[in-house]
Amino acid sequence: MNSHVVGVRRQWALLVLVPALVLLLSLPAWAKQDRPQRMLSFAAEYPGVIVGPEDDVSMDLIVHNKGKKDETVFVWIESKPEDWKVRIKTYRYEITGVHVPGGEDRMLTFEAAHEKKVAPGDYVFRIGARSADRHFRFIRQIKVTVTADKKSRGSNGIVLTTSYPVLRGPSDARFEFSIEVESQLDDDAIFDLFAKGPDGWELNFKPAYESKYISSLRLKARQSSSVALEVKPAPGAGAGQYPITINVSSGPAKAKAELTVVLTGTYNLEVGTVDGLLSLTARRGREANLSFFVKNTGSAPNNNIEFLSFKPENWKVEFRPEKIDTLAPGELKQVEVLITPYEDALVGDYAVDLRVEGEKVSKPLSLRVTVKASAAWGWIGIAIIIFVVLGLTALFRKFGRR
Amino acid sequence: MKGFMAIYRKELADHFSSYRFLILFALIAMVSLITAYLAGMNMAKALEGRIKPTTVFLSLFTAAGAGFSLVQFVTFFGPLLGLLLGFDAINRERNEGTLSKLLSQPIYRDAVINAKFAAAATMIALMLAAIILVITGLGLVILGVVPDAEALGRILVYFVISVVYIALWLAVAILLSILLRSVATSALAALALWIFFSFFISIGANAVANSLTADAPPDDPAAIVKRARIENAISILSPMVLYTNATATIVDPSRKTTRNVIRVGVMEQLSMARYSGPLPLDQSLLVVLPNIVFLICLTVICFAVSYLVFMRQEIRSL
Repeated sequence: MNSHVVGVRRQWALLVLVPALVLLLSLPAWAKQDRPQRMLSFAAEYPGVIVGPEDDVSMDLIVHNKGKKDETVFVWIESKPEDWKVRIKTYRYEITGVHVPGGEDRMLTFEAAHEKKVAPGDYVFRIGARSADRHFRFIRQIKVTVTADKKSRGSNGIVLTTSYPVLRGPSDARFEFSIEVESQLDDDAIFDLFAKGPDGWELNFKPAYESKYISSLRLKARQSSSVALEVKPAPGAGAGQYPITINVSSGPAKAKAELTVVLTGTYNLEVGTVDGLLSLTARRGREANLSFFVKNTGSAPNNNIEFLSFKPENWKVEFRPEKIDTLAPGELKQVEVLITPYEDALVGDYAVDLRVEGEKVSKPLSLRVTVKASAAWGWIGIAIIIFVVLGLTALFRKFGRR
Repeated sequence: MKGFMAIYRKELADHFSSYRFLILFALIAMVSLITAYLAGMNMAKALEGRIKPTTVFLSLFTAAGAGFSLVQFVTFFGPLLGLLLGFDAINRERNEGTLSKLLSQPIYRDAVINAKFAAAATMIALMLAAIILVITGLGLVILGVVPDAEALGRILVYFVISVVYIALWLAVAILLSILLRSVATSALAALALWIFFSFFISIGANAVANSLTADAPPDDPAAIVKRARIENAISILSPMVLYTNATATIVDPSRKTTRNVIRVGVMEQLSMARYSGPLPLDQSLLVVLPNIVFLICLTVICFAVSYLVFMRQEIRSL
């Protein structure tokens, strides 16, 4: 009786103490303590697969060592249907065994291929695995169901992909879209290529990296090819978004893709004088003026047009107006340039270069400035000579005839 | 004008028949011809197989043939011609007693000096014209360039300036021959004046400019320009400098200023280099006009002074 009581007490004590002890001991290395000494598992990724009559099967086999001990696992093919060729391999070798350290996984690849067409139906593959000391032994089954349906994948047979469906640039640029045409048909086929864009745009298909234009493309079954679409906007196209539709078809199979070209407009300026004369005459220290026009021949408005000059030192070059805030496409504005040569400039011809700096475009205007000596001093010189000669004549008058 | 033409003609005849003139003219003609000929030959060689620009004709006058160009030769020795024609114009007549005889004729006194000056100036013009025409002909033969109107205009202006320049020294010589009784003294004085104004002023201007800008570093552009300005201001007193600058600019159309040193900025240089064409004649003329005016005024004033002195001098007492 007494002993029984003691026994009950002991059991209670054990019930409380053992989990506490286990907890205490396992705290520093919980994961390790958690695992059993030896534990292996082996499994196929997909025990059941449905494929077409011409498809091969490939999947992972997972070996998982849940124990603390490292294990060497041998694998083999227990049984396979006829006409199928089965291999177990890693990324590199066909294998019969694998070493799995404790707590780690190893992936093996299971491959099943058939040499000739196999009849639709179920095919069962049995894969065996065991540890080196035969302590663990597994047999895993993979069922491959081969269907009769030919078009098991792909819906419409053509897939169009483009990496850059929207291109952006000025109106006078050429754009090139790169399109990947993928055939999912089971036979070789010729694909017709159509592209539709805004009126007046030039759209041409080219093979990638070749400069000939094509309108159709031959692809082998299940192959893909890269095609370029060259787009040349219409000459007067203004800034804006322009959609382009691509249609690829081969018999009943069709695919469509939407592309977009964003035009930013062109930037171009025309600078000149009305009569084409680019020379002017100036006197030293005096202002000379010339008017020239600035015309926006681009398709985008040009803002902040400034004027620069490259001139000799001590010369003054002024523009009126000093800058043009905005110039709409096709608009023409007149600018007056005032050039004042240096007071001590030599006579002769000078080059004065003007530059019209617009948005993304600048146009030069080179002027030839002929500096002339002031004729006023010439008259003064002649007046001095006349004065002196008059003095001489007066002298003759006064003292002559003696 | 009574008596003027008579004396003028007589003076011309005297000059033409005098050995002094013949020797002088032979010398000047020979040197200029050789100079121009050598220059022409050199140029003909250099220009073989090229299109000849019309400025080639002008460089016949400016290219150094035998060490110096024709323009330089006239600059240096043209004054000698004037001096030799005028240094004994009045005092020799006076010493020989012919002056009072002359004035006892029904001739006005001013006709004497006017005619003497005019005759000598005519001689100068004739000599220069002869030399220039011969060289022009030489250019046609050696180089085969026909001068255009512009080049001829430049040569004409050069001719006028040269006549005025030599006439200035003629006027100086006549003034000295009026002032000094002895022929030898007046000749020496004329020579001394010529050397002083032609050479010493340039040297002196250089020395003064150097001493005034002595503390400036030698390669400082501002100092160089300042020095050149001082030198210019002083050497404007020298007719030779005036004449050299004027003719160099007239005969060489690519020269754009009469100054020898000018300060040109980098951008200015670039800007000018684009169209380094020759100047038109009217612009060249306007550039050298101050020099021409100054030379003409000097000549006229010099002659006016000699006229004045001669008219007020006592002559009959001798």
